[in-house]
Order: sequence, then C-alpha cells, then structure tokens
Amino acid sequence: MEAGSAIKKSFEPLPSYQERRLVEDVLSKDRKATAEFVAFCVDSVYSFVRKRLIPRVEMIDDLMQEILLAAWVGLPKFRGDASLRTWILGIARHKVDDFYRRRLRDSEITEENEPLAEPVLEPALDRHLDAAAEQDRVDRTLALLPEAYTMALIWRYRDEKSVREMAELSGKTEKAVERLLARARENFRKEWTHAQS
Amino acid sequence: MPSPDNTERQWRTLLAGDEESWESAPSSLKARLYSALIRRQQETGPLASLDVSVADGHDVCVFERLVQIAPVGDSAKAPFFCTACHARILAECFDNPPIFWAHCPYVQFKG
Repeated sequence: MEAGSAIKKSFEPLPSYQERRLVEDVLSKDRKATAEFVAFCVDSVYSFVRKRLIPRVEMIDDLMQEILLAAWVGLPKFRGDASLRTWILGIARHKVDDFYRRRLRDSEITEENEPLAEPVLEPALDRHLDAAAEQDRVDRTLALLPEAYTMALIWRYRDEKSVREMAELSGKTEKAVERLLARARENFRKEWTHAQS
Repeated sequence: MPSPDNTERQWRTLLAGDEESWESAPSSLKARLYSALIRRQQETGPLASLDVSVADGHDVCVFERLVQIAPVGDSAKAPFFCTACHARILAECFDNPPIFWAHCPYVQFKG
C-alpha cells in the first residue's frame, strides 16, 4: 500500500498523492490507515501543543485527543492545499487558543486601580537572556507561577498574541490583560531571581 | 533602563522556546489517541473490513489474520479486535511496552 508502507519515520514528509491516499483510507475507516495517520501526525502536533502547555503537561492528553478527533471530523474538508501536518497544526492552533481563552476567561483578573508598573528586567535576568536555551529553567520557573500567569506569558510571548487579541479572545479588557501580564512578569522575575540566589 | 519595546523583545526571547525542534510524543499517548479515534469512527458505523485493509496492501497481525482468512462475512471482520488484545492495554499504559507482534499498530507506535 503506497501511503502506509512509506510511513517509516514520523518526521519525514509525505508526497501529496500519498497524503491524499492516506486521508481517503482513513475516511473509509480503514483501521490500519488510521494507525498510520496517528503515527504520521501526532509528533508534530504534540511538539506544538507541549510547548504551549508546558509546564501544565497533565493537560496535554485531553487537548491532543480533542485536536485529533476534530481533525477526523474535518478530514472530508482536507483539500491538500497545504500539507496534512500543516492542516492539522492549524486545527491545533485553534484548539490551543480555545483552551487559553477558556482558562483565562475563568481566571480571576481584577481591574484594580493600582498603578501599572512597567516591569523592568533586572540585570540578574538580563544576563540570562542570552542563555534562553536554558529552556528547562524557564519551564521550571513557569511551573512555579499561578496558572493564569503562566498561560498569559506563554500566550503573549511564545504564541505571539497581541494584548488586543488576548483581550478579545478571553473576553477581558486590554487593561485587564496588561495588568495580568505585568503581574505575571513580576512573578516570573521574582521566581527566577529567587531560584538563582 | 530598557525601552518598553526592548523589554517586550527580551521577554519574547526568553520565553519563545525553540519552534524548530520536534519532540516525539510518548508511545502510550499515541496508543490512547489511536484507540480514541477508532472508537469515534465506530460511532458512525462499522470499521472497514480487514479484507479491505489487506486489499489496500496493509499487513495485519497474526490475530487479525486468523479472522481475515476465516470463512465469515464482512461484518464479522469489521469489529476492532484490538479491544480484546493485551497489546493494546500494555501500549496504552506504558511507553515502549514489551509487545512485539508483527504488524500490530500498537507496536508501530513504539517508534
């Protein structure tokens, strides 16, 4: 079988005709093709999702399942304009946005009138900016923060959402999102510095 | 004191992560996702018969082969036989489980 037998390594791309064949076989509910579909698509989606959910890794399973089932439902609409992996990553992006939106909407974001201090990176943190490759340390620090702070930072800086987008998606005001981000940055900085001392 | 733009850039640099790197999903996650996807497919009617899989050039495991060559109708070859297989259970619970059946989808997920 062309599509199936060619899928040896999950990171290798497939020619478009093989992708179409794979999609047709999955839609016909061929269990073997479905297994190949999972083997072919899951790694790239997992990488994408994990980077956005870390350190809340316990949430990855549910979100991955939601994404894959949504892909199955939407598969008849796959036209092959983009690669299959790119198409599924588009679904994953929407699902991650939905997830963040729900979480931030449910979080306590107050609109106090406290002055919004623009956080300034302290020299101790600044020195480490060149060592952003220390991803583990970043993730460990994120894990120490309240969930809303972690999500706000990842959504803003890892997913590059604007404050306006975050506000629209979460149903909050821009001011509330800015305050949330300011508190999140301040907390991150404190934890980062504390871990260093 | 850095400008707000510069500060934003620094935060982005620190938190962006490495978009280029890929990380393989745990094999147990793939197994659970596969089982979930099959269950969802079954909600809309029976799976394709094993005869269809074989005709499409797919290999089947030894248990599936026994069913596939049996003189029974298509409907008897459509159930998801992995539901009753220990390989599925081990694969869903453990990463790189001790299962070695040739052409078993759950073995395929071991990578």
